[in-house]
Amino acid sequence: MTKQIELSGVNKYYGAFHALKNIELSIEKGSFVALVGPSGCGKSTLLRSLAGLESISTGDLKIAGELMNNVPPRKRDIAMVFQSYALYPHMTVEQNLTYSLRIRGVPKAEAKKAAEEVAATTGLSQLLGRYPRELSGGQRQRVAMSRAIIRHPKAFLFDEPLSNLDAALRVHMRKEIRTLHDRLGATSVYVTHDQIEAMTMADHVVVMKDGVIEQQGAPLELYDRPANKFVAGFIGSPAMNFVPAVVGEDGRSLAVDVGERQTITLDRQLQPGRRVTAGLRPEHLHFVEPGQGVFRLPVGIVESTGSATYITTATATEVTIVETARRPVKTGDIIDVSIRPADVHVFDGETGLRV
Amino acid sequence: MKRLLSSIRDGNGFDIVLVAFPLGFLFLMAGLPLLYNILMSFQEVDMFSLGTFLRPFVGFKNYQDLFSQPETWPILGNTAIFVTGSIAGQFLIGFGLALFFWVNFPGASWLRGLFLVSWVMPGLVVGAIWNWILSGDFGVLNFMLRETGIISGNIFWRSDPNYSLYAVIIANIWLGTAFNMILLSVGLASIPGDLYEAAELDGANAWQRFWTITLPMMRSTIGAIVSLGLIFTLQQFDLFAAITSGGPNNSSNVTQYWAWDLSFRQYDFAKGATISVIMIVFVMFASVVYVRSTRHEVRG
Repeated sequence: MTKQIELSGVNKYYGAFHALKNIELSIEKGSFVALVGPSGCGKSTLLRSLAGLESISTGDLKIAGELMNNVPPRKRDIAMVFQSYALYPHMTVEQNLTYSLRIRGVPKAEAKKAAEEVAATTGLSQLLGRYPRELSGGQRQRVAMSRAIIRHPKAFLFDEPLSNLDAALRVHMRKEIRTLHDRLGATSVYVTHDQIEAMTMADHVVVMKDGVIEQQGAPLELYDRPANKFVAGFIGSPAMNFVPAVVGEDGRSLAVDVGERQTITLDRQLQPGRRVTAGLRPEHLHFVEPGQGVFRLPVGIVESTGSATYITTATATEVTIVETARRPVKTGDIIDVSIRPADVHVFDGETGLRV
Repeated sequence: MKRLLSSIRDGNGFDIVLVAFPLGFLFLMAGLPLLYNILMSFQEVDMFSLGTFLRPFVGFKNYQDLFSQPETWPILGNTAIFVTGSIAGQFLIGFGLALFFWVNFPGASWLRGLFLVSWVMPGLVVGAIWNWILSGDFGVLNFMLRETGIISGNIFWRSDPNYSLYAVIIANIWLGTAFNMILLSVGLASIPGDLYEAAELDGANAWQRFWTITLPMMRSTIGAIVSLGLIFTLQQFDLFAAITSGGPNNSSNVTQYWAWDLSFRQYDFAKGATISVIMIVFVMFASVVYVRSTRHEVRG
């Protein structure tokens, strides 16, 4: 596999503010990479740096093997889909699509043909004569994507492209973008704050926080082996439960503090007496017969979505449990819950790093 | 009676009252004088019939007389030169300044505000200042042109028939540029920044972005500015009164100044009204363009 985008030692400062800290990232040709993180984590800055809309302060940025640090955006051969779509309001859909071609002096007939071809693949054929203001949100989104596709760029950059759409359309467009990516064999970088979008669409997920890449890898790798508490809490919905815990004398058990001390066993050996944080995913906690579980917990809030029930316990450290068997649980009940030793994540009590 | 009262307090009646007030005001203060003006252009008006309303009707005689006067066509020509010269100058310099301040260097907005000083000044004051600048013997403009070698002898801006009209145009450009700049700045600021980013990624250089994004997005603003400029320049009176008084020998006379001169200095109210009516036609046209261009706003 060849590297389409390579970043090494990239830093970005806005005055005294350190927006990107020592970014190391390489993106393979044909892969779909998601940059995900809370707002202000630097993911958009990173994307805009790839596009050239922001300059990087130090480090190297290579696209298709060429150093791009000082190359202006228009010469980088990269297409971007903006959150606002940034369609040219005074141009028809066809003119929007062919803009880049016309700028490069492609003959009119050829540009028109290209627009028709792209419009056919994105379902815009009937709308070529319309203006952006006459389109729905989903249609505008498609125009923005088509405008990127028509250029056959070296990479596609997406800046939270689905955040202006309603939930149902978002799920639909998620699949559509991924399908399009596969069909074009494109290289895509996709910025989102929605971890579900990142998990479902990407081959490679990069989790960022405060300008630092916290962890990167395949979606399930991040879910199964989060490198630290932040990634563990960010990936997965509902979020992972964190409870303070102490490793037992034998080094193979964990005294967990959820209001009252309860003990769970581990599948690995840890230093006895070490203060840690236990990470328990809500979907890994399952109901057992009374007396057989590792936790006995009073039920606080019960929220039912139909397919699953979210149970929040009435303990000092709240624990969320996802239950799908439609067990009749109500506030005030005492429930018995268990977890497989392999599903227990352990993080250092101070650094938050995976143990 | 009760229903009528309640309708006025809360209902259609209230809306009608709200609409009636401004309409009544407009009719009284603008509509009636306008109609009276039109009426007067078809009447024979002299010193003795000034006080009466119904004067002898003369049809298009005033118009025919007006166009048989030798100075009419030159003055209409002057007006055309004045309007196009002023608008072109105000617009081009104003657009240039608006683009300049759009770069947003430190202190840009503060400096831009300072430019409005020229616009808030009364025309007569501006005229007095420009009288000094344009003065033939000791004027600053002549000094600068002479020192840079553009002219060899002094130009008597205000009294030379070849230059007098341009003297007023220069002053008027100075007066109206700031207003153009502010409106154009507002237009520029309302273009979303991501359009430029998208265009840049699509491969457009600065010049191409200006022609394909800025100008088309500014179309309604430019339409509004040019038609407002037409209305304002046709209203420009103070500068003529202050700088040339339309002279020498009508060489810098324009319709708006001439109408006043005919009516209130020569007491030929009928001709004054006739010119006004001709001007109204042009201003109406500009108003229609203005209203249409502000209605057709193109926004994402």
